Amino acid sequence: MVHYAAFISGVGMSFRDSVRRAGGIAFVGLVAAIVAAPAAAVADPNKVLRAAFPTAETGFDPVRISDLYSNTVNEAIFDRLLTYDYLARPAKLVPMAVEGMPEVSDNGRTYVFRLRKGIYFTPDPAFKEHRRELVAEDFVYSFKRFMDPKNRSPWAFMIEGKIEGLDELAEAAKKSGRFDYDAKVPGMQAVDRYTLKFRLKHTDFNFLYITAHVPFGAMAREVVEAYGDDVQAHPVGSGPYILKQWTRAAKIVLEANPGYRGFTWDFAVSDPAWDDALVAAMRGKIMPQIGRVEISIIDEDQSRWLAFNQKELDYLALPATFRPQVFDADNTLKSEWKDQGVSLFRAIEPDIGYTYFNFRDPLVGGFTREKIALRRAIIMGYNLDDEIRVVRKFQAVPAEMPIPVGVVGHDPSYRSINRYDPGLANRLLDHFGYNKGKDGYRTLPDGKPLVVHQASGSSAIERDFNELWQKSMDAIGIRMVFDIGKFSDHLKASKACQLMMWGAAWTADYPDGDNFMQLLYGPNTGQSNNGCYESKAFDAFYKKATRLPNSPERDFLFLEMTRQMEVDGAWSLHTSRERNQLIRPWVKGYKKHPILHGEFVYMDLEPRT
Amino acid sequence: MTAYIIRRVWQMIPTMLGVILLVFLLFNWVGGDPAYVLAGKISNQEQIDNIRRQLGVDQPYWVQLWIFIKQVLTADFGASWSTNEKVSHILATRLGPSLTVGVPLLVLDALISIALALAVAYVRGSLTDRLVMVVCTVGLSISILVYIIVFQYFFAYKLGWFPVQGWGNDVLENLFVYSTLPILIGLVVSIAPSLRLYRTFVLDEINQDYVRTARAKGLSENRIMWIHVLRNASIPIITNLMSALPGLLLGIFLIERFFSIPGIGREVILAVERSDFPVIKAITVYTAFATMASNLLADLMYKAVDPRVQLK
Repeated sequence: MVHYAAFISGVGMSFRDSVRRAGGIAFVGLVAAIVAAPAAAVADPNKVLRAAFPTAETGFDPVRISDLYSNTVNEAIFDRLLTYDYLARPAKLVPMAVEGMPEVSDNGRTYVFRLRKGIYFTPDPAFKEHRRELVAEDFVYSFKRFMDPKNRSPWAFMIEGKIEGLDELAEAAKKSGRFDYDAKVPGMQAVDRYTLKFRLKHTDFNFLYITAHVPFGAMAREVVEAYGDDVQAHPVGSGPYILKQWTRAAKIVLEANPGYRGFTWDFAVSDPAWDDALVAAMRGKIMPQIGRVEISIIDEDQSRWLAFNQKELDYLALPATFRPQVFDADNTLKSEWKDQGVSLFRAIEPDIGYTYFNFRDPLVGGFTREKIALRRAIIMGYNLDDEIRVVRKFQAVPAEMPIPVGVVGHDPSYRSINRYDPGLANRLLDHFGYNKGKDGYRTLPDGKPLVVHQASGSSAIERDFNELWQKSMDAIGIRMVFDIGKFSDHLKASKACQLMMWGAAWTADYPDGDNFMQLLYGPNTGQSNNGCYESKAFDAFYKKATRLPNSPERDFLFLEMTRQMEVDGAWSLHTSRERNQLIRPWVKGYKKHPILHGEFVYMDLEPRT
Repeated sequence: MTAYIIRRVWQMIPTMLGVILLVFLLFNWVGGDPAYVLAGKISNQEQIDNIRRQLGVDQPYWVQLWIFIKQVLTADFGASWSTNEKVSHILATRLGPSLTVGVPLLVLDALISIALALAVAYVRGSLTDRLVMVVCTVGLSISILVYIIVFQYFFAYKLGWFPVQGWGNDVLENLFVYSTLPILIGLVVSIAPSLRLYRTFVLDEINQDYVRTARAKGLSENRIMWIHVLRNASIPIITNLMSALPGLLLGIFLIERFFSIPGIGREVILAVERSDFPVIKAITVYTAFATMASNLLADLMYKAVDPRVQLK
């Protein structure tokens, strides 16, 4: 059997560079070389990695699942058009199932991908004993599945309204009750067996990120049709691993795909402090190295912690509860762990936590000066340090802007103007006539009661948040009550602009600021803009940014948007979570990627000690 | 006997209808709209409406109720809303692990508690009796969560006698390796209340005239306690044991969760977290049915152990 190893990483130009060169049809070649690899599977079946998920997976049909852990498994099974460089930060796109980066033309509206020849799906009865090659039509089919109403895909939003002719096909399906997979979509064509052309309705320089998003991996139509509703139990891909065993909500076993083409580990250092040793240990290896990955679903923190302590797990995302047992007072790894050779990788997650205000709410909404003052006083009254210390147990950092660390558009030098300052918050409220009554709580400028409602659930962390909010608001004389309810009910009310305040979180689907700023874009009200924030100034900046490729000009617009939402007091922006990963010494090549989660594809194992 | 059984089965129908109605009302009033969660991170009203249509929650309540009744009659609860797995498959695959822990636990709990109850009742008022009762009272007042955390830490992690967690593919391995500590914890938690309860049942009997008569006849103490007293005390014991039987269907939530046992209990927690109504209602209905069936079985067993009992 012939395998191919591609030097697909560390030599590519950035997406920003590629777009700069776009003038007509721009070739954005990133692949330095494609070379033949050893004619045998290189993964060692005796190398068994043991990992844990804290939450059960839901299934493996990429179109239908949206949970992180199912996607982590799918990431190792399905080939996407593009993926990310393992080490580059911010995350950088590189080819996966294509020969090079696509040709981008027509100001970011046309994308042409050329698939690598000789990529095969793993054998499956659905292929009737034929060796099934991955072709451009598979991606066309897979993309169509997102728009099939029957699949009710939670990822439909990523391509909805973007590809010429695809929405029309979905509309027809809604009327007829049947999605026509044979219909031609003008904006999504398999030009030939290995050439895939996308034509977008509008300029969208983030489209490439969508092609790298794990759910957009290629599935074979025969497999989907053969298994029907049960396809979520039959993930047949062409990626480095196959699903060998699945005990639902208990154990997932992946084995290296013996037919996988392989690639040579050749990533460039981006953070010398961590990467130097990693590169020294991994460079030149044919991947994947690990023959078997055993993932246990271990719900409870204590059970995962003890399993790692007993060396039943090779690496562990440290549960916050056990942080004191790992860190010294100076915030470094305790010597007992160092003595065991355990290393610690710290990463700030590409996510943000925030509390939004409903701009249509008569009490806290609107753009009048006194309403802005009220919201900003509430934001400045919230004790963020206590959140990090008490609620997050030091596993979080303040989010200075809506775009988190590691995401394009994040500016590490940017500092929020709405800092914790209860004194200033009190003065601001006094100035705008929110005077304190006899009971110590403030009233509205017209003398009516001021009672701020915040929606909440009943989980332990939500109770912690509520206590913190209560304490913070008491300090500035604002009476806050919590409306405890079900998540789905709050979500429903939120989409209808009926909640006054609600805490939320967002994790990057792709590492671009647009993925976060769209949460504040006016026309997204009722979809993702749950604060119903409709600022003409913000929307103008946003619209302008969507027409630009990644550039300093667009970065500046992100800063303008950030400042605008801060001035308006749209969100109380809280934190980005910190991930502390403990890694046993025999695990080689680990580095947490901000977007990818199946790092084991890039890792190796030495004999356990 | 047959007529009695038929009558009891017949009486189950209105009870089951009541359960169906209660579950349906609870879900619709308390359960929330699952479409908003299933629609994903960014969704519009049209997508939400599409999901509601597919799940059937856009139908009038009476239609939804009728569908529910048909599901109960056909024992086909469809597929999980969150995983698309057939509910019948969920129950079939999760029941085994729950029973692997639950059945030995129930049997051992009964045997040990009954034996200890007979023993301490026999020496009632003694230091041993009082000591056992104090231990039971202390044991009762400690949460199962504490037992799980402490036992898992000491016996599994510190001493290494058991695995910290896990589940395999082999029944014997699961029973003798992975289930041992969970069963031990279950016994520590369940023996204390069972022992106290059974002791009172036995004490009620050992002062009866027939015991005195048996002793006067020269029967051995073992025979008196194990045959005569136990048989007469068995009716409330059977009631207690039978009431625990439906619990096997529900699994042991916390134990399954901490020890990563892929049983029904863990599935129930997942289903509640995911608002997965098909799974919740199937398990609720089956549990209700199991409760009624075990009650019937208990009545039949009363007759078997005590011929004086008349089934009417």
